[in-house]
Amino acid sequence: MRRTILPASALTGAAALTLALAGCGTDSGPAGPELSVSGAYMPQPVSADMAAGFLTITNKGGTRDRLTSVTSAVAGQVTMHSTVGGAMEEKTSFAVPAHGRLVFKSGGNHLMFERLKRKPEQGQRVTVKLTFARTGPLTVEMPVRSATYHPSTGN
Amino acid sequence: MRKKTFAAAALLAAATLSLSACGSGDDAKSPVSVVSEASDSGKAATILDQPFEKPDLVLTDTHGKKYDLRAETKGHPTLVYFGYTHCPDICPTTMSNIAVAKKALPKTEQNDLRVVFVTTDPARDTPAELGKWLKGIDPQFIGLTGDFATIQAGARSLGISIEPTTKDKNGKVVSVHGTQVIAFSPKTDGGYVLYGEDTTVDDYTKDLPKLVKGARP
Repeated sequence: MRRTILPASALTGAAALTLALAGCGTDSGPAGPELSVSGAYMPQPVSADMAAGFLTITNKGGTRDRLTSVTSAVAGQVTMHSTVGGAMEEKTSFAVPAHGRLVFKSGGNHLMFERLKRKPEQGQRVTVKLTFARTGPLTVEMPVRSATYHPSTGN
Repeated sequence: MRKKTFAAAALLAAATLSLSACGSGDDAKSPVSVVSEASDSGKAATILDQPFEKPDLVLTDTHGKKYDLRAETKGHPTLVYFGYTHCPDICPTTMSNIAVAKKALPKTEQNDLRVVFVTTDPARDTPAELGKWLKGIDPQFIGLTGDFATIQAGARSLGISIEPTTKDKNGKVVSVHGTQVIAFSPKTDGGYVLYGEDTTVDDYTKDLPKLVKGARP
């Protein structure tokens, strides 16, 4: 029986530790969204007419944020879209949930680069600026991948 | 403690037995299903037990000439997709995937294959616009445009739902693409395999050698 008590007390200790850590997180440091970007890419478009862009924004913070605009020097305009059943719908902003992610991926949400100044070619990089409601803007170097690139296979 | 373990094991065994008894007691062994490979989740292809008839579509090709889909593609392996060129994501990806996969085929089979892109946005996708766009993907691909109602009816006969191009509340033009590519057999001219928009270039590369022969991928 003593043996069952020991792990139990250890568990309680762990719980207390977790609580203390959680307390730490909210007390010190800037309270608010902590955003980072991963998996950004642009499939090489067919023409300079338009291109799509994909990325994931991760929020490690306990406060939600909102992506309010996207700009790029290569495009006259970058718009944000959601896709439902083959139809895309332009959105003025996208929520970035607290402790969550905002995902732009093929077949789902996507960034649409319009009025391109040149056709982006595979191997190049496109600079993209993301603007948020709460936190400062993020600048992303988005690599141009092949037209058939798929993140799951990496080619 | 040992007793508890035994009891739990006995309970589990009883539960398993009663569950399996349930299963075998059910006489309906074959589930009602339209597709034979629905449970084979690892595959991109969905093989239809009941193939689609090739739609009776007579439209205009990228050279501005009349194109009768049934007559022109009869006896050829044929892939049909409904999309539009002002489409940033799925339409170019789908066509590029097929174009890259096609290059892995022997030359004679490449020439035998018909890849047909039917626009869902005929007002913007003129023969010239379609031609320019497809040339950037594969010059052998066939682009068709024409009356939207005709195109919509053709798509519907293949179970593909498309809506006319509209303007959203910001005045922006919004079009709709189909969500599937349909493969027609050179042997029967029936549409017997479907590919969803998640299909990768590797999936097409693996399946095209079978499709050009009318075989099951």
